[in-house]
Amino acid sequence: MSGDFEPKIVVFACNWCTYAAVDLAGTSRMQYPHNVRVIRVMCSGRVDPQFVLEAFSKGADGVIVAGCHPPADCHYSEGNFKAFRRFTLFRRLLDSLGIERERFRLEWISASEAGKWVQVVNEMVNDLKKLGPLREKLEVR
Amino acid sequence: MHEEPRIGVYICHCGLNIAATVDVKEVAEYAKTLPNVVVARDYVFMCSEPGQNLIKDDIKNLGLNRVVVAACSPSMHEPTFRSAVESAGLNKYLFEMANIREHCSWVHGDRKLATEKAKDLVRMAVAKAALLEPLEEKEFPVYNSVLVLGGGVSGMRAALELARYGFDVYLVERSPTLGGKAALIGHVDLQTRGSDIVNKMIELIRRNSRIHVFTNSELIELKGFAGNYECKIRVYPRYVNERCNSCGECEEVCPIDVANEYDFGLSRRKAIFLPFKSAYPPYYVVDHRICTKCGECTRVCRFNAIDLTEEPKELNLNVGALIIATGYDAYRPLKGEYGHGFHNNIVTLFQLERLLDPEGPTRGELIIGGKVPRSIAFIQCVGSRNTTPNARSYCSRMCCTTAITDAIKIREKYPYVDVYIVYKDIMTYGSDESLYLEAGRRLVRFVKFEEEPPSVVISPEGIFIDLYEYTIQERIRIPVDAVVLSTGMIPRRDLEDVVRVTRVSIGGDGFLREAHLKLAPVESPTKGIFLAGAVTGPKNIMESIRMGSAAAAKAMDLLSKGKVVAEPMIASVNEDICSGCAICVGVCPYDAISIKLVDSDRIAHVEEALCMGCGSCVAACPSGAMQQFGFKDKQVRAQVLAAFG
Amino acid sequence: MSKPVLVLGGGIAGIQAALDLAEQGVDVYLVDKLPSVGGKMAQLDKTFPTLDCASCILTPKMAALLRYPNIKLIMCSEVQEVSGSAGNFLVRILRRPTYVNWDLCNGCGTCVEKCPKKVPDEFNMGLSMRKAIHIMFPQAVPRKALIDEKACIRLNPPPELKEKAKGPLCGICERVCPAKAVDFSQKPETIELNVAAIIIATGMELYDPRNIPEYGYGKYQNVFTHLEFERLVSATGPTQGEIVRRSDGRHPKRIAWIQCVGSRDVRFNSYCSAFCCMAATKEAILAKEHMPDVECTIYYMDIRAFGKGFNEFVNRAKKEFGIKYVRGKVVKIDENPSTKNLVVTYEDTASSYMKKEEHDMVVLAVAIRPSCPPIPVDLTADGFVKLRDPYLDPVSTTKDGIFVVGVVAGAKDIPDSVTEASAAAARAALIAKGYEVPVAVDGGGYLA
Repeated sequence: MSGDFEPKIVVFACNWCTYAAVDLAGTSRMQYPHNVRVIRVMCSGRVDPQFVLEAFSKGADGVIVAGCHPPADCHYSEGNFKAFRRFTLFRRLLDSLGIERERFRLEWISASEAGKWVQVVNEMVNDLKKLGPLREKLEVR
Repeated sequence: MHEEPRIGVYICHCGLNIAATVDVKEVAEYAKTLPNVVVARDYVFMCSEPGQNLIKDDIKNLGLNRVVVAACSPSMHEPTFRSAVESAGLNKYLFEMANIREHCSWVHGDRKLATEKAKDLVRMAVAKAALLEPLEEKEFPVYNSVLVLGGGVSGMRAALELARYGFDVYLVERSPTLGGKAALIGHVDLQTRGSDIVNKMIELIRRNSRIHVFTNSELIELKGFAGNYECKIRVYPRYVNERCNSCGECEEVCPIDVANEYDFGLSRRKAIFLPFKSAYPPYYVVDHRICTKCGECTRVCRFNAIDLTEEPKELNLNVGALIIATGYDAYRPLKGEYGHGFHNNIVTLFQLERLLDPEGPTRGELIIGGKVPRSIAFIQCVGSRNTTPNARSYCSRMCCTTAITDAIKIREKYPYVDVYIVYKDIMTYGSDESLYLEAGRRLVRFVKFEEEPPSVVISPEGIFIDLYEYTIQERIRIPVDAVVLSTGMIPRRDLEDVVRVTRVSIGGDGFLREAHLKLAPVESPTKGIFLAGAVTGPKNIMESIRMGSAAAAKAMDLLSKGKVVAEPMIASVNEDICSGCAICVGVCPYDAISIKLVDSDRIAHVEEALCMGCGSCVAACPSGAMQQFGFKDKQVRAQVLAAFG
Repeated sequence: MSKPVLVLGGGIAGIQAALDLAEQGVDVYLVDKLPSVGGKMAQLDKTFPTLDCASCILTPKMAALLRYPNIKLIMCSEVQEVSGSAGNFLVRILRRPTYVNWDLCNGCGTCVEKCPKKVPDEFNMGLSMRKAIHIMFPQAVPRKALIDEKACIRLNPPPELKEKAKGPLCGICERVCPAKAVDFSQKPETIELNVAAIIIATGMELYDPRNIPEYGYGKYQNVFTHLEFERLVSATGPTQGEIVRRSDGRHPKRIAWIQCVGSRDVRFNSYCSAFCCMAATKEAILAKEHMPDVECTIYYMDIRAFGKGFNEFVNRAKKEFGIKYVRGKVVKIDENPSTKNLVVTYEDTASSYMKKEEHDMVVLAVAIRPSCPPIPVDLTADGFVKLRDPYLDPVSTTKDGIFVVGVVAGAKDIPDSVTEASAAAARAALIAKGYEVPVAVDGGGYLA
C-alpha cells in the first residue's frame, strides 16, 4: 500500500468512560496518530450499527465503538452489554459485506485507561495502513 | 425549531495550550466558510469573562441562535458556556463544544495535521449544532412524605430521621410488631441487648406524630415515579384492639399452636399471642393466617378487646420516595446438616440469642436439653462461604462477632463451661478484633478447619464434633454437650413480593441490588427507591442503622427542593411512527418505558422522570420512532458525515 | 436562611458529604490539607471486589464539586482550633501559601514544564519525581499549580547558590506563566469560619512500617507498602502500570503480600484494619493481569472477606488467578544482598514449622492510623474518633454538632464511608437549616 495513505477512523466514545480516557490521554500529553475523530455519545448502548455503516460509506476506513468495561462499569447498568450483543452480530454483517475484521473494533476503555486508548489507536492505524483504504462504497439508505 | 440556524463559532487559544500547536486563526477563518455560520472568532481564553462576553454580545447583536466553542473538553467547561449562553437569553442546550485541546493540540505534534484535525472537529460540531433543538428541564412537584417498608432497626431509624426533617413517614411492617430481628438478639455487644436499642427507638416513634405506623400491613401496589408515587397498602386485621391489657387469658384457651418464630422455633405460641414483651403496638394480636375463628378467645376476654369480624383495609398513600428496609431471614440448616433437627442440643446462633436473652424462653439461662451444658461448641460459617453444598458463597459478616460475643458471655456467666469455636477464618474486623483477644483471654478454645467442614456426630455416647484440625494437621473428635450452628443471613423468602410490587432488582446473591456498590450503596437503580439494612446483604445492627440514616438522607436529597428536575437529554417517542412493538420496553434498565393505549393504538410511553438518557432504546428501535434529545439519529449522523469532509 | 457546614477532609467520604449537603441547599466549606481533593482513593488503581477503576468513579464526583456554587474548596489548609457549640462553631484554619494565585491559574501546566527542580512525588509515594511547582495529579480538583517551598530554588535557595547570586534565583515559572499567576510573596493565611456543624472526614495515614524493623521496609529496596504498590500498578502512576522492583527496575516473578503489618498486633495496634485482606487480594489479581506468569502469595492470619462480593472475590483469586494463600505470621524478612531478593521467614500454621520462602518483591499490608484533627471530641483507646452511640446516633461524635465519617472513626471500606457521609450530611443539614439540636426533645437525647 502507498506510504502516503492516512487512514480515517471514526470513534464513538461513551461519555463516562472512553471519552474521559481520551481526555486523560490529552491531559497526560500522550502523543498518538491524528487519524481519529471522536464522536461523543452518552453510552455505547446508544450506538446504532447504522451509524457504523454510514461512517464506512462516507469515507471512514475504520470505526471504533468504545464503552465501559463489563460487567460493572456502565453508568447506565447494562448499556455496554447491549452494545456487545449488537456488535457481535454486526461483525457477521461486516464479514458478509467483505469488510475486513480489522476495520471495526469494539473496545472497553475505562476512564483511567488513557494508555489503552493510545494503544488501540496505534494498532488500528497500523492495521489500516496495511489494508489500505476501504474502496467499496456501501449503499446505505 | 424551524428557523434558519445562525451559528457563532469561537476558537479558544487556551493561552498557548491550543494555539502553540493549532493555528487558531486558520481554524476561525475556515469556520466562516461552513454552512449556517454567521460569525467566527478566536480568543485567548474563551472561558474567561471577556471570552464569554464575546458570545453573549454576538447572540444579542447578531441574532445568533446556535453557539459552538472549540476549546477544551466539555467535561471542563460545557456547563460554563451553557450558563453564558443562557444568560444571553438563548436556550442553554443550543450549544455544542469541539474538543480541540485534550483531543487535539495536546496529543498531536504536527502543526499542520493538528490544525486540519481541529478544522474537522469544528466542522462536526457545527453540523450537529445546526440540528440542535432547545430542551426544557422539566420540573415535577413532589410529595413531602416517604413510605418506609420494614419496621426493623434500619426502617425505624430511617423513619425517625425523616420525621425530624419534617417529612410524613408511613412505616409499613408486615409482622404484627415493630422491632424486627434486632429485638430478638440477646447480645448485640458485651454491654448492649437488642431490645435496649429497639425499645428506645420504638419510644421515640410513638411520640412522633409525623410517623404513622402500620403493622400487620403490606405494600401491595406501587405506581408513579420519583417524587410522585401512589402506594396501596393492605392492613390485615389484628382482631385485637387497645382495650387489651395483655392478661393472657385468651392465649390459654386458644386451640391453635405453632412454632414461635419470635423464639426462632425454640418455643411455641398460640394463634392469639403477644410477640414479645415490648412489642409495638403493645397488645395481643391474632395471627390472621392460622386463626380458625373458633371464638374461644372472644368468650373469655373480659375487656371486650377482641373482634373477629374485623376486615382487612386498603389504604392509598401518596409519597415522594420509598425506602425498602425489609431485612433478612436466618439461614435454616437442612435436616441433618450438622445434625440439625436430630438432637435437641443442636441449636442455631439465633436460637442461642433467645436463650441468652433475659426475656427469652429460659430467662437468660443457658439451658439446652434441660440443663446447662458442660461444654458447648460453635460451628461457624453454617450456610455461608460454600462450606456445604447448600451453603451460600458469601460471608454473612456478623456471625463471628456474634458467636465470640456469646462465647464471652457464656464464659463470664458459667466459668466452668468449656466453649469451643470451630472456624475457618475469624471475621472480627475493625475494632471487633478486641473481642477475639478477649475470648482468648477467657479461654475460649479456637479450633480451625479449612477445606473440609466439621461434622456433627450423634451417638449413644453423646455428641461429637469431628474435624480435620488445620493447625495440628490431625483428625480430632471433640465431645460436647451442645452445639451452636452459627447460621448466616439469607434473603427473605418473601422478598419476591417486594420485588414484584416495586420492580427493584435482585443481585447475584439473591439480595437486593444497589445502584452502585460504592457510589450509591443505599440507592436502588430506580430513582426514588432507596435501600437500607440487611435487605442488600448481610450487615450487623450498627451497619443497618447507619444505612437507615443514609437512606433517609438520600430521600431528603431527592425531596428537599420541593420538586424533581428531569434529565433533559432523554428518550422520546414519535407517536406517529411507533408501532407498539415494545422492543424498547425490555431494553430499558430503569423500567421507564411502558406501552399505553392512545386512541386504541399501542404506543410506547417514556416516563420522563425515570429516563436517565442512555439511549439504548433508541438504538434498539426498529422504526426510528424512539429518539434521544441531544443525541438524535440525525444529529449523530451529521457528525459522522462531517467527520472527514 | 441556613448557616454553612464545615467538611474537614476531601477524600471520598468528605466529597460525598459535601455533595449531599450542597444538594440540600446548604453552604459547604470543604477543607483539605492537600492541594486537591480525592484522598487515598485517588491513589488507587482499581477497587475491590468489582475491579472497577477508582478514578472513573471518583473523578466525576470531584468534578461535581465545582458545579455547586455553594461549595467552597479551601485547599492546603488545616484546622488550628475549634470553639463554640452546635449551631455556632468558630473554626480557625491556617492556609499554607501555594505561591500561585488560584483565581488566575487555569491549570495549563506551562510552569511545570519549565521548572528546573525535581523532588520525589508524594502522590506517587516517592516512586517518581515531580517539579517544585506542580499540579498534584492530572485529574486534580482544583486543577491548580502550587509551589513546594522547600524544593523551590527561589523560595529556599541552596546556600552555595545564594551566596553567589546577586538577587533572587530562578523565577522561571513566574516568567512563563501566561496568566501571571505566580506570586512569591504569598504568606500563610488564617481563615476564620463560623459554621453550624462540622463533619470530620480526615481519613487515615499508614502506620510507619519502619516501626517494625524486622520487615526491612526502608532498608530493603524491594519491600513496598500497599499504597506504593497501588501507584506502581496504576495506569497513571510513576511507571504507567509496570510493576517493577526498586533495585533493578525489572518485573518481579514472585511477589509476596504480608498481612497484618502493625495491625492485630498487641505491640503496635491491636485492631484490625478491615480492608487489607481484600486490598491484597485485589493487588495480587492486578499483578496477575499485568504479568500472567507472576507467582503471588499472600501470607495471612485470617482472610477477612466479610463484605458484599468479598468471599467470591477471594475464591476467584484462588481458582481463576492461582493466587496462593498461606496461613502464617511472617516473623522477619531478610535480603539477599546480591539479588536484592527477599527471604520471608514465617510460621506455617499448617505444619507448625518455621519456613522460609524467597520472593523478589514484598508488599506490606500496613495498618492504618486515623488522622485525627485538633477538635475537642473524644477518641477511642486506639486513637479513632469515638462515636457517641453507634446504635442511636450513628455518625455523631461526643460533641453535639460534630459528626464523623469514614476511616477516621474506624477502619472500613468505601461503601461504608459513603453511607456514613450521606447520613452525616443530612444530620448536619438539620442543624444548618436552623432546626434545634435538642438534649431532650421527643424524649430522646440521642437524636440530634
